[in-house]
Amino acid sequence: PCRAQPKKKKKVDVKKEQAQKERMKKKLKKLEKAAPELIPIEDFITPLKYSESNRVRSLPPLSPEESERRVLLMKKWCLFKQKQDEAEKKAIKALVESQQEALKELRLESEELYQAAIRRDEGLFPFERDGPSYTPPLPGYDPPEGKCVDITKVYTQ
Amino acid sequence: SAAAQRPWKLFGAMCLLRLPRITQPLEKVEEAMAALMEQIELEKSHYSDHEVRKLEEEEQLKKKKESLYDEDEALGKTVIMAQDLEEKWEQKFLQFKAAPRITDADKNNDRTSLNRKLDSNLTLLVKQKIGNQELWLLPQAEWQPGETLRSTAERAMATFLGDHIQAKVLGNAPYGIYKYKFPRAIRTENNVGAKVFFFKAFLQSSDLSQAELKADHLWVTKKELGDYLKSEYLKKVNRFLLD
Repeated sequence: PCRAQPKKKKKVDVKKEQAQKERMKKKLKKLEKAAPELIPIEDFITPLKYSESNRVRSLPPLSPEESERRVLLMKKWCLFKQKQDEAEKKAIKALVESQQEALKELRLESEELYQAAIRRDEGLFPFERDGPSYTPPLPGYDPPEGKCVDITKVYTQ
Repeated sequence: SAAAQRPWKLFGAMCLLRLPRITQPLEKVEEAMAALMEQIELEKSHYSDHEVRKLEEEEQLKKKKESLYDEDEALGKTVIMAQDLEEKWEQKFLQFKAAPRITDADKNNDRTSLNRKLDSNLTLLVKQKIGNQELWLLPQAEWQPGETLRSTAERAMATFLGDHIQAKVLGNAPYGIYKYKFPRAIRTENNVGAKVFFFKAFLQSSDLSQAELKADHLWVTKKELGDYLKSEYLKKVNRFLLD
C-alpha cells in the first residue's frame, strides 16, 4: 500500500528536476551567446570630480612676445633634434662599417675563426641595464622603510 | 702547417667600457624646452586636490581677518593647513644631501680611478710592450690556435685585470680591426705584420678592488684617447666607440 505514492513522487520529481535543468541550460546558452562586456580602460575615463568648474586654473593670457618666443624656441628645438638624430645615425653607420671591415679581414685570415665570430651569442640577450640617474648613489644611504599596497582593479570578462 | 704559413699575426684586444652613472648636463636649448613644456603643462592643467584645499584655506583666512567674531569657532581646532604641509616638505628636502656629480677624482684629474667623469663612457688603456716600445693600448693578447678571437680578448682582459672581472662582452664578432706591418728589420716572408681585432665589453661591477692590476692602467673618455693612442690606431678605435 505504501509503494504507489513514493513512486509517483519520484517520477514527478525527476521530471520537474529535468525540466529545471533544461531551463538552466537554456539560460546559460543565452548568456554565453551575448557578447562579452568590454573591460573599461580606467585611464580614458576622467572621474567626474575633475570637471567641476572651481578646478579651472585662472592665469593671465599670453602676451604676443611670449607666444613669439615659444614658436621660435620650438623651431630651434626641431633643428637641434634633427642634428642630434643625424649624428646618431652617422655614428651607428660608422660602427657597422667598422664591424663589416673587421669581419672581412677575419675571413681572409681564417674561415674557422670567421664562422666562430658570426655565430649568435646566446648569453647576450635578454640584456638588462639600469639607466643613469641625476646624482650618483650615496654610499651608506639608508632608504626609509615602507610597504606598497597594490590597489589596481582587475576586471575579468 | 697552416699556422706557420699565415703571414699576419693575430691579436685579440678588449675595449672595456664603464658605462655612465649620471645623466649628461642639458644643453641650453634642452633646458629652455624643458621649462617651456612644464609651463604649457601647467597652463593646460586643472587644480589638484592639494591646490583646491590651499585656495579654500586662503579664503577662510581672509574671511577670519575681515570678520572678527570667527575666533569662537577656531577654539579647540588644531587644523593643519596645506601651507604648513608644504613648508614641512620643503624642510625635509633641504635636509637631504645628494652625492656630488663632480667627484674628488674629477677635481684631482686622477685618471686611474673609476669614479671620474661619471657622465661619460670610460675605456681601459694599459701600457704594453710591443717590439721594443712601451705603448698605451687597449689590452691585447696574441691569438693561440684552438681558441676563438673572443676568448683571446677575454684572456687579455684577465691578464691585466685578474679573473674576477664581471664584464658583458657584446657578441662574438669583432668591432674593429687595426692592421700594421712590422718594421723592415723584422719583416720576413712569413711574418709581415699583425692584425689586432677589437672586441667590446661593458663593465658590470663597479668596484675593482679585487682586481690585480699588473701593469699601468688608465680609464679615459673618448676625447682623452687622443692623448695616449697613436693616430692610426686612434682612428680605427674611434670608429666603433660611440660618445
